[in-house]
Amino acid sequence: MTTAAGERSRPDAKTTSLGKAHFQALLDLLWSKAYRVIGPTVSQGAIIYDEIRAVDDLPRGWTDEQSGGKYRLQRRDDDAWFGFVVGPHSWKRYLFPPKLTVAQANRTPDGWQMVDVPDDEPAYAFIGVRACELAAIAVQDRTFINGQYVDPVYRRRRERALIVAVNCTQAASTCFCTSMNTGPRCQSGFDLALTELPDRFTVEVGSVRGAEIMAQLPTTVASPKHLKQAEAARQQAVDQISKHLDTTDIRDLLLGNLEHARWSEVATRCLSCTNCTMVCPTCFCSSVTEVSDLNGDHVDRVRQWDSCFNWDFSYMNGAVVRDQIRSRYRQWLTHKLASWIDQFDVSGCVGCGRCITWCPVGIDLTEEVAAIRETPS
Amino acid sequence: MSAATSCAIADNPWLAQSVKIAGVTREIPGVATYHLQFSDAALHAHYGFQPGQFNMLYLPGVGEIAISLSAGADRNGTWDHTIREAGNVTRTLAELGIGGALGLRGPYGSCWPLDEHAGADVVVVAGGIGLAPLRPALYAMMQQPRKFGRCTLLYGARTPDALLYTREYQQWSASGVDVQTTVDRSADGWRGNVGVAQLLVDRLQPLVAGNTLLLLCGPEVMMRYTVRSALGRGLRKDQIWVSLERNMQCAVGLCGHCQLGPAFVCKDGPIFRYDRIEPFLDVEAL
Amino acid sequence: MDARAIAQLLGKLPFSAPLPQAVVDRLAASATIRSYPADTVLFREGMHNDQLMIIAAGHVALDMRVAARHEVRILSLGPGDMLAWSALLGGGWMTTSATAVQDTQVVAVSADAALALCEANPDFGYHLMRQVALALANRLVATRLQLLDSFADAQPAVARGPD
Repeated sequence: MTTAAGERSRPDAKTTSLGKAHFQALLDLLWSKAYRVIGPTVSQGAIIYDEIRAVDDLPRGWTDEQSGGKYRLQRRDDDAWFGFVVGPHSWKRYLFPPKLTVAQANRTPDGWQMVDVPDDEPAYAFIGVRACELAAIAVQDRTFINGQYVDPVYRRRRERALIVAVNCTQAASTCFCTSMNTGPRCQSGFDLALTELPDRFTVEVGSVRGAEIMAQLPTTVASPKHLKQAEAARQQAVDQISKHLDTTDIRDLLLGNLEHARWSEVATRCLSCTNCTMVCPTCFCSSVTEVSDLNGDHVDRVRQWDSCFNWDFSYMNGAVVRDQIRSRYRQWLTHKLASWIDQFDVSGCVGCGRCITWCPVGIDLTEEVAAIRETPS
Repeated sequence: MSAATSCAIADNPWLAQSVKIAGVTREIPGVATYHLQFSDAALHAHYGFQPGQFNMLYLPGVGEIAISLSAGADRNGTWDHTIREAGNVTRTLAELGIGGALGLRGPYGSCWPLDEHAGADVVVVAGGIGLAPLRPALYAMMQQPRKFGRCTLLYGARTPDALLYTREYQQWSASGVDVQTTVDRSADGWRGNVGVAQLLVDRLQPLVAGNTLLLLCGPEVMMRYTVRSALGRGLRKDQIWVSLERNMQCAVGLCGHCQLGPAFVCKDGPIFRYDRIEPFLDVEAL
Repeated sequence: MDARAIAQLLGKLPFSAPLPQAVVDRLAASATIRSYPADTVLFREGMHNDQLMIIAAGHVALDMRVAARHEVRILSLGPGDMLAWSALLGGGWMTTSATAVQDTQVVAVSADAALALCEANPDFGYHLMRQVALALANRLVATRLQLLDSFADAQPAVARGPD
């Protein structure tokens, strides 16, 4: 991680407690500090990430029921605000937006003038970041900030973003963060990490910036009782995780089985719809298209999320390299779980389970890996 | 050739520099060399690249393509790119003509490993347009003849009139390069070799396998079999370097398109030591 | 050139270099050196030729007749390459015309003598035929690659959709 984004020294602040009655004050404080506050909210039958101005915007009393190819909101029997897991959105849509003009070109009598497009998005405050999502952000940091070349928009947004994590207190059937060592407990990479109790949050401070925020709010030292309740709530998430991905030697397992029969088998089910890559919090592929005005004198270079499942993604010299779904699924899975390790020294998978939930035919990558592991070539 | 100076990589990797077409050399039907000049004179003077590296050439509103440099400014005073008309961008470029304006960003990617192989005999094997990214390597060797041992060019093309840069062969030979050409399809009056370039590797004499560096660029199938021939002649896999091609959009490893196994062809390549990319090169549709 | 000198020459050529010395010596005993100035014909397609040849120096082009007056150059061969394999395996009926494109020297081995040696000495036969087979296999692969026409201009993918 870069210094600005990463080295958030962790003061020895004790875990504090913030009453739910004061949460609105937190939101107001962040807005007043010119943050654009983004958090979970219910929209179109799902919990997505959008602007949060009031506590009422949060998905109070809602939870999500997830399994392969299935996502449903359900009413909870309590009024929890963060009593859900993760939805189709991830924070990458703000740090690495789905559509962005990255440069412009204007025709002048003297040739083309290439113009930078400065990013003017206000600093974000992310509310409700899960442990697997903290891991996903750290994975994307490696792609966009820590390499030889940097994505300047990502870096700017990332460095300025304030992260208020909220620990999971439950898990979906699709969750496997424990296999990927990314959760469910938020360990690092946050400014504040909250655990929700019926009437309050316990708050861990992860950075000076986080401490400064908390200093302006009416917090108390968390009592042993509340700490115990918070621990139990977090443990509930651990206990509910049922899915497992065996990552032993997974890089060599997958790259050593590029001709495994399972790739053809999964290709009969996979629709190559790109859903898994769109909901994945680490997938970073994009394409740039030229959008010009009618006389062609002004051109926007518009970057959009792309997917290795799109047929023409590997187009070259009049032909498509990965012409079949078999090779496209193989590319996605081997990149995510194997070659990502060569490239970025980390797995591209954080175990959030979104690709399983949002696959219209319920393909489960943990099952695909297990099938290859069962009969390696 | 000056040390690689990446002039065009600003904070924003998508920002190209303005260049103009100072001249066009028609090479063969459908292939021309574009002599490019930066609009900014200081940039033009300070730009530099290593043989084998490529630029992204950008036609606003049309698109952008990855093209290897085929000569540096020390040859013609311009930064040269030899391009075959194939798609929208290359066809539009062909219509621009002298004075035409476009964008350029680069140089990108890895280079031919000449500096690390001083003293070696160098065998350059090229197929078709694949000679373009190898020409700067030939120039570099001709400029420093004492630095390398024997230098051989084995060049295959489809037909005699598809051979690139024929006007220069005489000078290359005079500069100590053993130029051997071959064609897949002969034509009336052609007295040269007929057959694929691998056959020239098979019969290359003399060949000191232990002290030979092989640089290879051409269609992937040609490269696979040329490597086979070279291994048959006793070369090790780590003596062979290949230049690969994939869909490239960002050229800086951020867009994901050019991946081949763990490699980003744009920034880890396009030139790879064969033994490092072999496990992935032979897998169909990877 | 006597048999010993021919054996020495054969020992250096890629076609025969891998052969055991005894096989090279036997081959040399029934071989002669033939020289062809540039533009002379070594043999013609459809004609009979009883000599298997290995090029010692120079280049030879192989042509096939497509129509009465039209020939297509199929392949050119250089030092160390074998030609006229039909003398050994095709009953002597030549499938191409061979022309020296430079002053060329070949080691010519009587196919009848070589075949007789193969019959009499299976070990000799194995080694000789293995080299001939390898040379032909290599030429088959090269011909396939030529057929692929891999330098043909890439055509844009038209009328193709996803899967």
